[in-house]
Amino acid sequence: MRQDRRLYWLLLAPALLLMAVMLYYPMVGTVYESFHETSFLNPDPKFAGLALYRRVLADGTFAEVLVNSIVWTLGVVLLQNVFGFLAALLLNQNLPMQGALRAIVLLPFILPGVVAAILWRFMYDPQLGLVNSLLLSAGLIENSVAWLADSRMAMASVIVAAVWKGFPFSMLIYLAALQNVDRSQIEAAMLDGAGPVRRLLDVTLPAIRDVIVVNIVLTLILTFNYFDIIWVLTKGGPQSATHIFPTKIFETGFGQFRFGEAATYGVFSILVLSVLVALYAIVQGGASRRRAAA
Amino acid sequence: MNQTRATRLGLMLLQLLLATVVLLPFFWMISVSLKPPTEPFAIPARLWPDDPTIGNYITAFRPEFRTYFLNSLVVSLSTVAITVSLGLFAAYSFTRGQLAAISALIGLVVLAQMFPHSAIIIPIYKMMRGANLLNTYWSLILAYVSVTLPVAIWMLRGFLLKLPAALEESAAVDGATPMRVFWDIVVPLSRPGLIATSVYVLIVTWQEFLFALSFTSTKEMRTLPVGLNDFIGQYGIRYGELMASSVMVSLPVMAVFFFLQRYFVAGITAGAVKG
Repeated sequence: MRQDRRLYWLLLAPALLLMAVMLYYPMVGTVYESFHETSFLNPDPKFAGLALYRRVLADGTFAEVLVNSIVWTLGVVLLQNVFGFLAALLLNQNLPMQGALRAIVLLPFILPGVVAAILWRFMYDPQLGLVNSLLLSAGLIENSVAWLADSRMAMASVIVAAVWKGFPFSMLIYLAALQNVDRSQIEAAMLDGAGPVRRLLDVTLPAIRDVIVVNIVLTLILTFNYFDIIWVLTKGGPQSATHIFPTKIFETGFGQFRFGEAATYGVFSILVLSVLVALYAIVQGGASRRRAAA
Repeated sequence: MNQTRATRLGLMLLQLLLATVVLLPFFWMISVSLKPPTEPFAIPARLWPDDPTIGNYITAFRPEFRTYFLNSLVVSLSTVAITVSLGLFAAYSFTRGQLAAISALIGLVVLAQMFPHSAIIIPIYKMMRGANLLNTYWSLILAYVSVTLPVAIWMLRGFLLKLPAALEESAAVDGATPMRVFWDIVVPLSRPGLIATSVYVLIVTWQEFLFALSFTSTKEMRTLPVGLNDFIGQYGIRYGELMASSVMVSLPVMAVFFFLQRYFVAGITAGAVKG
């Protein structure tokens, strides 16, 4: 038995070692880096205390990156979950071609992120893009809109592209949950004369509550950290209108070789993400308690 | 379900709308990739070229594209092989080993899934630089194995927990060592889980952009996502070629997904739905 145990530890060792060196050590390393200054000319890290934190906070773009990250994350998470849930409801009806439709809806999820971003960059092209073309033909806009170059439109435009790419993932998980809902409860509600909306609110939603929570936390984390779409579509621009933490970190670290400040942004990004997840947990916990009390 | 005919029709129209929203950008990507360079873009956009040609594909399949393709293939397949092997070893120990502190370790695996790549990339970059691994396959394979491993362990652990214990127990009673049980019983029975996890890891690594952009510096080492992103500037607005390249980048993962969809969907949803 003791030898068996040694074997199990041996099998576990490579995975644990890799995660320790490549994930947990860098997590600590980021905090270390945030207290040390490096630059392109002086690559040797020098202890800087809180100087980098002061510099990052004093820089005008920090507030913008913070607000953008929150708008981007909440926008994508909300829309992606609403559309993902509605699509799952639609695919959970007794209609023909459900399997084929599910495969079709999953396409954007499998599409590589950079390809999706390039495709949407082209969709948004002011002269050649399909978006302007369709909206002009439909008479919804009078002049071509520069979706990605206009700082008032850029954030909404990247959010739409990300939702298109991301909602199939939420759909997939909601659909699996819907298929697990106990049919007999729904039928019992029907016998009691509950219409489709009542059945949805009283039976289906409570039954899949845990999956909704998991889905929202999952998409929250994935979206907050998503780099590809924004980098390819706008590189954080125009000015900093779509800069979020991941794009700002990459630009500071690998565009300007200011590793210390990039790491400081990294520490802030972890803090902000933790606060968002914690806030959601508090809101969610409060709602559960109210339901339990009612 | 006793839906009325009107409800059914309405639902089917909504399905059609859903399919259109999803497919329109794809349709346009393919349409533009087949447009001859001479055919002008028109407003309103023409949805299908008058004279479709595969000329863009031939032009786009240039030597550098082939290099990027090969690089992506090497990095992705190596990552899949290593991640899934290490993941299965770990999942086996997690589910069968009855080791001390196991729930704490599983907690660390779950927590590691959430680490933002951008927040840990600077120290990883410095390690790679220190080990002289920048701009090599190994820098990417090591990073990709590490970031996909937590999810892979989690998915495979879910599969192993559902395997009936009876077979393994009777083999152990017959005197099989844990290693024999692993190779002769657990590995064959985990096939669906191994396939689902492989597809997941392949989809993630085939499109990985941030590490590849940061760790590779020469054209010889670029992977497809980074190479494709480079094309944007180089070709100006030669969208025909850009779209043809995009289709060629997407096809391999799409093909794998279509053949193995069943496994993948079951694997992805199992963790989230069953908790």
